[in-house]
Amino acid sequence: MKLTPVALLLSGLCAVSLAAHAQQAGEPVYREYTGYIDYGKSPKASDDARHTGTWEHWKDRAKLDEKRVASAEDQWTTNWKFMDPPFDGSLHGGHEAQDRGEELYKQLNANGRFATCLGAKRGDLKSLRLQYPQYNRTLKRVVGMEQMIEHCAQQQGMKLENGSYDNTAVSVYITAFSNGMPLKIDVTRGPLKDSFERGKKLFHTKAGWTNFSCATCHVSIVGRSLRGQTPTTHYGDIAHWPTYRTKDELQSLHVRFAECNRNAGVQPLKIGSQEYTDIEVFMTALSNDYPVAVPSARD
Amino acid sequence: MRKQLLGLCLALVGATPAMANDALPSNLLYDASRPNKTIWPLPAKNMGELKWNDHRQDLSRWPTLSYEDKRPTAKPRKVELQGPLNGDAENGKKIAMNTQRGNCWACHVLPGDPQGGTGGPPLMNVGSWGYTDAHLYQQVFDRRVANPDTFMPPYGSNGVLTEQEIRDVVAYLQSLK
Repeated sequence: MKLTPVALLLSGLCAVSLAAHAQQAGEPVYREYTGYIDYGKSPKASDDARHTGTWEHWKDRAKLDEKRVASAEDQWTTNWKFMDPPFDGSLHGGHEAQDRGEELYKQLNANGRFATCLGAKRGDLKSLRLQYPQYNRTLKRVVGMEQMIEHCAQQQGMKLENGSYDNTAVSVYITAFSNGMPLKIDVTRGPLKDSFERGKKLFHTKAGWTNFSCATCHVSIVGRSLRGQTPTTHYGDIAHWPTYRTKDELQSLHVRFAECNRNAGVQPLKIGSQEYTDIEVFMTALSNDYPVAVPSARD
Repeated sequence: MRKQLLGLCLALVGATPAMANDALPSNLLYDASRPNKTIWPLPAKNMGELKWNDHRQDLSRWPTLSYEDKRPTAKPRKVELQGPLNGDAENGKKIAMNTQRGNCWACHVLPGDPQGGTGGPPLMNVGSWGYTDAHLYQQVFDRRVANPDTFMPPYGSNGVLTEQEIRDVVAYLQSLK
């Protein structure tokens, strides 16, 4: 008998908690977003001219303004192209990675199947990078090239975890065969369109203790100084990834996303996750028409 | 007996949201066995696997970009400063000029920092602008109440700083003349 009120109370509590849960499931979760700028249906790198307006300062890597590159105040307007070839031809850790990538690639592709798995025709690596990100029928999802390098290496019995140095080194080696060729992904239809739309939304979704979105830094306060760092435009960036960071770290794009997230007080996600891949698709579309250049470097 | 029941009831009600939050998305860089939970990848040279480092704090406490994350953004919250400020300006300065705490200097120029950011207005002499303590307290606690489009972090609503720490920051800001 003494237990009855307790049981009543517990069942009452259960009802309250269940009702609260049902309400949670029925209503859209409250999230905040940074407002979109006009991206259009088929973005390209030069669209930056009507965004940050820096396009004219980085549209041609061979003809950057040296004074602008040397200026502490205006360097950000060159969008980190000043450490790309051909403007900067100096040797750095990115070249070392390219050599390492070649060595690994030759081991992996001894029987020719690695290249075929990645989508190369007759083993030709030229323009292979331009096929990514893609909807992959084998994996039944949109993937970046590094995810496929992991997958295809596994088929050859080698572990090349997405984001690891060796995976990224192979990516640099393969990407270099597309140097000078403009990125071109079609986000106007199919799974890439869906991925682009999801990536666009994620890029503007606020998260973390700061309540920042990617767009907080790269749209709202682009070009402003954040204690020694100045966020640059999100247009035209993808064409020089993977890159060698001058803190002596070879980084794939997703590894950089994890660092971006941490710097902004946002919990990072797994390398190769659908979320990071969708942001990669969104940003690749914003680099359309801009030519590939690796090995590259940046701070 | 009644008091005990009430206690049990409150404990259970209190536990409900916490239990919901325990179900973290599966695709976070998160390792419950590590000291700060949040981890980050280091591509160590000539290796086919990543090495993992500990982030300085557990970031999984706040909403993430994971599609599985159903936690809401903390809604804008209007607060009223109760009683006198009683802030410790020295401590407020330590919070404001520490990258791992308030990190105010990332966006604001503060006295003694040659690198001050330009994301927000310079606060070199904010103490002479005539703002009340209550106004500044609200701005630090959650500036979205005044401007929904602000990108200033809601230090109070997101539980980044405690109420006393915000009082300390306000005392520091008011001392800048």
